Amino acid sequence: MTAVTGPQVGVTLYSFTNEWLTRQFDLDSLMREVAKRNLGPNIEIIGFQSFKEFPDVSDEFADHFKALIAETGLNPVSCAINSDRFLKPGQQPIDDATLVEYHKRQLRSAKKLGFSLARSQFACPPNLLPELADYLEEIDMRMGVEVHAPMWAGHPAVVEYGEMYDKINSPRLGWIPDFGGTARAIPPSLLDAARAAGTPEALIEITKEIWAGDEASYVKAGKLRAVAEKEGFAPLHVQACTLAFFILSNNDPQSWAALVDRTIHIHGKFYGVNDAGVEEAIPYEEILPLFRDGGFTGTLVSEWEGHAYCQVDAFEQVRRHQAMCRRIFAGA
Amino acid sequence: MLPVERVIAEEGLVATPRGARLGMRLTWYRSLPFSTVEVASVAIDGAPVDLSDAVVEYDDQSWPLAEMGEQTNSFWFIRDSAFLVLPQVQLTPGDAHEVTLVLNVNPPYIPGMKRVNPQTATLTVG
Repeated sequence: MTAVTGPQVGVTLYSFTNEWLTRQFDLDSLMREVAKRNLGPNIEIIGFQSFKEFPDVSDEFADHFKALIAETGLNPVSCAINSDRFLKPGQQPIDDATLVEYHKRQLRSAKKLGFSLARSQFACPPNLLPELADYLEEIDMRMGVEVHAPMWAGHPAVVEYGEMYDKINSPRLGWIPDFGGTARAIPPSLLDAARAAGTPEALIEITKEIWAGDEASYVKAGKLRAVAEKEGFAPLHVQACTLAFFILSNNDPQSWAALVDRTIHIHGKFYGVNDAGVEEAIPYEEILPLFRDGGFTGTLVSEWEGHAYCQVDAFEQVRRHQAMCRRIFAGA
Repeated sequence: MLPVERVIAEEGLVATPRGARLGMRLTWYRSLPFSTVEVASVAIDGAPVDLSDAVVEYDDQSWPLAEMGEQTNSFWFIRDSAFLVLPQVQLTPGDAHEVTLVLNVNPPYIPGMKRVNPQTATLTVG
């Protein structure tokens, strides 16, 4: 195996959610397409998005997947798992023992498919981490929790997790930053999609103003709802704008520095890379050097999430994003 | 309409001996346990359909719609269609009907979130 000398790039198949949902590709053809376009070799896959048998994959499927990996030359780095605690809406969450077993089923499948790490969620309470760390040790895997907007390094849930990480001090556990928590603006492409849906410019301006504030996401969403009701904006237009509060927040990009040491993988969230090779909403030029210079040698997978509101060519977006990340990583 | 907003499946509406069969798509980015999904309402040509005896079919499984909330370990794969069989609805192949389906999704890791997904389409009965 080649010695890794710096951060690597790759892609999460989640970037191709539009192509997946519309059945333009199945798993085999999508992986072949990613390999053909040189968007790998490192890939992340959401277990519950791409594997029909998840959370318990069969030996037959694992053999098929491994053959596909061998054929395409792709490298299965990260498998995303879910903390589905609320299986019955409006009722009590499942108990801790059941939730731990639910995680183990997914981790077992990820390992069986050849992934080296799993991406988890904050919906897994930190008190369950010691038992999961033991299991990760047993199966020789790592697991990182995704720090996704509205969370960021200083968020109380992140601080609580960090305290447990310090207590357990296991190299099996770590962070997976998703940069949506430290955006500089709402992506212009999101606002353009809202405009295309007929959203009046006045509502767009109000959204931008509220988004730039310091409150929590749900408070901002509530403020917009209140203004919209008062001014009589259409629910559809309000919904198009509200999305911005839940996928992006405006915390300090430099705050990621506090998490670099325990970062095991990076989710390169993005919405649109322009012709000049710059992400339209997230300041990669400011963020990536923190990881590059901080000694991070794992993989950043490009995660295009514009499919939440538009249908441009995801493959081209990923190509641009990877070129941008390579450029910044090489700029030491 | 974005792919993630589509609830009426490509398979559309079909007349079967068991009643009308409507294809449904899941509006999320990943597979979910059926227990977290609700068929809120169906209307055909503007008239609400009584769902009390409706049945859900998925691959080789089926269960009464009223029991879907118990299906915590049956996962609806995001690329697949599930089907709603409506025993009280008898349709003639070739006829066109305006169908409205409202599907609610309660992501099981986001307590309190309910995504309401309505769609109306004119479908020719297969």
